[in-house]
Amino acid sequence: MLSIDKYAYNNLLAKWRPEVKGLLWLFGMIIAFQPIMVIKLIAIPTVAIATMWAVKVNFHQYLKWFYAVIPFIALSIIGIAVTLAPRADQVYGGIYMFGNYLGVAKSMLPLAEQLTLRITTAIVCTYWFALTTPFQQIILLFKHMHFPSLLIEETLLMYRFIFIFVDSFEQIYRAQQLRFGYANLRLSMHSAGILVKMLFEQVIINYQKMVYSLDAKLFTGEFTVQEDKI
Amino acid sequence: MIELEHVNFAYEDQPILKDISIKLGEEGQNVIGLIGQNGSGKSTMFLNLVGILQPTSGAIRIDGNTYQYDKKSLNELRQKVGIVFQDSEQQLFYSIVKDDVAFALHNLGLPEDEIVRRVREVLTQLDILQLKDRPIQYLSGGQKKRVAIAGILALHSEWLLLDEPTAGLDPDGTRRMIDLIEGLSKNGQKILISSHDMDFMYEIGDYFYLLQKGEIVRQGTSETVFADDEILKQCCLDQPWLMQLHQKLGLPLYSSKAQLFTDEQLITRLATLK
Ligand SMILES: Nc1ncnc2c1ncn2[C@@H]1O[C@H](COP(=O)(O)OP(=O)(O)OP(=O)(O)O)[C@@H](O)[C@H]1O
Ligand SMILES: [Mg+2]
Repeated sequence: MLSIDKYAYNNLLAKWRPEVKGLLWLFGMIIAFQPIMVIKLIAIPTVAIATMWAVKVNFHQYLKWFYAVIPFIALSIIGIAVTLAPRADQVYGGIYMFGNYLGVAKSMLPLAEQLTLRITTAIVCTYWFALTTPFQQIILLFKHMHFPSLLIEETLLMYRFIFIFVDSFEQIYRAQQLRFGYANLRLSMHSAGILVKMLFEQVIINYQKMVYSLDAKLFTGEFTVQEDKI
Repeated sequence: MIELEHVNFAYEDQPILKDISIKLGEEGQNVIGLIGQNGSGKSTMFLNLVGILQPTSGAIRIDGNTYQYDKKSLNELRQKVGIVFQDSEQQLFYSIVKDDVAFALHNLGLPEDEIVRRVREVLTQLDILQLKDRPIQYLSGGQKKRVAIAGILALHSEWLLLDEPTAGLDPDGTRRMIDLIEGLSKNGQKILISSHDMDFMYEIGDYFYLLQKGEIVRQGTSETVFADDEILKQCCLDQPWLMQLHQKLGLPLYSSKAQLFTDEQLITRLATLK
């Protein structure tokens, strides 16, 4: 079972109306995509602390949930910021190669910073929502908003997928740690490489399994909500 | 009846099931056992039987109709053949027990009161009604297994495929599983069970198939399949202990532990040895 999911049922905000939480999340997204940086800088720690409080986890555990997504954020930021430039003063920390300078492009740096802040705000807010809102409530929310069922399906499968991802990450990381895979820097680098490779394979396998079980349960592409009669 | 005709299945280029031709569910065969060691292809065969995997060659038929792999036919097939996966965690999709059990019924589009009725019925049948509002991740392995079974049992499918239903269960859990299977088969439910738990299989099954490296090497009733120690050894399996008592100590062949321990004649005879 996906370990993160349990927090959604056992947090201080679990009983809040999903509409309220949904609106707050939307508000968070607006903050993430609006241009004023300072607001984001305030929002990130505020929402993070609110999440840790509501879900009753410490900072260390909270941070761990980010490990799984950090490589991807890092990759996209690096992709934007690192360039080859013809002149040394166009980049920071330039390394001369092939007649160009490889380094962090000065012109791109503000963009990279903006992007980092935006992504981080969005993720922090989404984690808050996902960790405080049970699966069923999310469906209910979408139904009330008359979302098309295809969109609901996509969103919920993605939601599930995130849990699969985090879960796979934890499993592999724990297995490596148990066998001293992170004992020193060299081993850590090596293990981290394997982790990323395994993660992709594992996620695909787990995803496949989920599809099998949805098939066995005659899933038609429409999620339903149970009225509380049973 | 499910018929397999020269079914072959390969993952990539690696053959897993080899030329399997069997008929499942003939008269008097309600509980059918598929026995084989780890990696012999049991789960793969199950996935073929519910149409999740498609044979590389050969055909599977249910009640005379060859499996079709379009969406509509598969949906019909899975209403006839329900599967409980080896890893029950894999099967559970929702986070609360009753929601998960109702999931497939909603997918079938049953009316709300019918769903409520069926969910209550299976939860009672499996003795887990008290768990209905619990988050699934806090349940024990055995409880999760029962929730997974409930979710499929609620479909009232003609066939029930149980992949390793006793794996990870304690003796009490295994006992309950035996009772459950016996109860279901009395009601005419057809059940196919995969396992390498020989004593469990011996007690529960009407008819058996021995699977080794993707081939059916032996089939028959318990007397024929479990009597041949040689072939079981080749398949890396043990003889059930009741069969061993019969063959090695010359006791009568009992069909269950209970039958052995209530055999008055044996008890009096053993008493004279003291
Ligand atoms: N997705 C897959 N891709 C490739 N090979 C696979 C895959 N799944 C299983 N196999 C291989 O197929 C063979 C049969 O596997 P299967 O899971 O059917 O065995 P099993 O009899 O169910 O074993 P167990 O008792 O361990 O559950 C094994 O050799 C396994 O390595
Ligand atoms: Mg198996």
